[in-house]
Amino acid sequence: MRQIQKYFPIIPVFAAYLAMFLIAESMEGMWQLMSMLLFYCALGQAFNVFMGMTGYVDFGYVAFMGVGTYGMALSITRLAQYEFLGAWILVVGFGLALVMSTLLSMAVGAVALRLRGAYFAIATIGVNEGFRFLIEGARIWNGSEGMIFTADLNKILGRETAAALCTYWADIIVLVLAVLAACVTLVYMRGKIGYALTALREDEDAAKVMGINVTKFKIIAFITSACLAGLLGATAWALKTPYVFPPEVFEIHYTIEAIIIVMLGGAGTLLGPVIGGLVYGISKYYLSIFLPGFQLLIFAPVILVIIVLFPQGIVGMLKARTKGTGLERFIV
Amino acid sequence: MFFEQLGGNLIQGVVLGAVYGMATMGLSLIFGVLKVVNVGHGAFIMIGAFLTLFLFSSLGISPLFAIPVAFIVGMGMGLIFYYTTIRRLIKAPELATLLATFSIGVLLEELIKLMFGSEFRGYNWVVGKINLGITVLPMSKLYACIGSILIAVLLYIWFKKTRAGSAVRSVVEDSEGARVCGVNVGGAYALSFSLGIGLTVASGVLLTMFIPVGINPYMGGGYTLKAFVIAVLGGLASPYGAFFGGLVFGLIENGSYTLFAYIPGVEPFALTRFLSFVILLVILLIRPTGILRAK
Repeated sequence: MRQIQKYFPIIPVFAAYLAMFLIAESMEGMWQLMSMLLFYCALGQAFNVFMGMTGYVDFGYVAFMGVGTYGMALSITRLAQYEFLGAWILVVGFGLALVMSTLLSMAVGAVALRLRGAYFAIATIGVNEGFRFLIEGARIWNGSEGMIFTADLNKILGRETAAALCTYWADIIVLVLAVLAACVTLVYMRGKIGYALTALREDEDAAKVMGINVTKFKIIAFITSACLAGLLGATAWALKTPYVFPPEVFEIHYTIEAIIIVMLGGAGTLLGPVIGGLVYGISKYYLSIFLPGFQLLIFAPVILVIIVLFPQGIVGMLKARTKGTGLERFIV
Repeated sequence: MFFEQLGGNLIQGVVLGAVYGMATMGLSLIFGVLKVVNVGHGAFIMIGAFLTLFLFSSLGISPLFAIPVAFIVGMGMGLIFYYTTIRRLIKAPELATLLATFSIGVLLEELIKLMFGSEFRGYNWVVGKINLGITVLPMSKLYACIGSILIAVLLYIWFKKTRAGSAVRSVVEDSEGARVCGVNVGGAYALSFSLGIGLTVASGVLLTMFIPVGINPYMGGGYTLKAFVIAVLGGLASPYGAFFGGLVFGLIENGSYTLFAYIPGVEPFALTRFLSFVILLVILLIRPTGILRAK
């Protein structure tokens, strides 16, 4: 029983995702909002795996989503001529997205993960820009013109299936990714890696002295987080909107959003990115209706206030409140 | 022909590099004293640029007079941000100051976007040109270069000759020791932070002389990355290192642009931006303490 109880905190997360799915399915006109919320929850969960657990900020995180998008785009555009592949082309696309985000994260991690705190942040801040300028400058993968592959998708899957993929199945895959990211987070938290990363976050030197191979665990968390981002990019960007332009997929804006979501909800918690994603997504949705273009202007000071006054975020505060009550084991 | 072009571009590189160096001194000063990385560095450069634009287009004030104005405005902003946020976060984990300075940068960008809109702007300050044979240098760029060197020298004198300067230096060496000796460490932090921001905003004025129509709320991002490359070249914690790092970076940027322009089928400008990122990673990999310092 204790073994199962360890995994109870996944219940509220799944409940939230199920509720979002049901609302989207049953209520007219809610699909768009729910798909956006799911995207933000998944983004937060994926970002949290590294940033929340280690306390390192990766300012170039969006680069992993970008290369994931390119992985899917390349597979669709380059393999569209082989008709026998059919829908397997998407599987190849996800595989390529995984491989590319893993490779990039290994390359970046090999340099950046040797460094601590401030130096790490400096090393990562240019990753998205650097990769974007490599693609544009060396004219790799069509350079700055990008790729549009609506026609290729239509050709492979047929017009109706392709449309259903963009408007329905892509969102379902985002949901699956959000669930996957939550499971990975909890398994890591409850496993050896979680304890190692907590020790590292609190005091890296002490953790090293205790014989923890901090580098190994940092690399695992970094690559996991990058892979989730790659898959998310391949789904939410490449499949949902079948085109890719370098300035759009390497836009630092999405890193900012990931930071806001994780800090709002509570870094290093399981439920935090979900709450953060919901709060951020809903506010952004309504702000874009009533005060278009203002969301960052409002969220930047909010983040400042959170960092200065409530660094543990919403879930961190909930955790402190529910300590000693029956809810304790659900909120992690 | 090739060497003439390269030589001309390298002269332009030195002139731009001096300004780059000055634009990075604030970042290095803040890191050296407070051990805080100002991730929102570029946004303060952008503030300086908009200040110049506003003073020049609306009030007709020469960009040269905008430099002291920008410096004072920057120091004021530095004091405000220091006392409202940074001071409370100095003892917190590094994550907190990184995210805080980042959010300050986003806040400034969005505020300027709200006030001026997000289109590219520019101004035209005509003060003649000087012909050097292999290249033509606008006087405005030369003024910017001389201004940068002057400011760097003034900062050097301030550091070495004044009481406040030596107090700040003592905090850089050992903040605990300085406290024991009766140095007001909190005051030194506040002074260095506001001085650093002041220098950065002032550098925004000088940089506008190199970008005829490049003033935009989001222009700072590129400069943040360049400033990090330069600061890391110079050892990150030393303002003078940053100045010389700027010169080196200006040479690398313009020199590599000339070379990339000979490769067919590439966009040389984007490749120079990529190269600066590669340089950053390589230095961090082989020598995070900077390559321009002897130690």
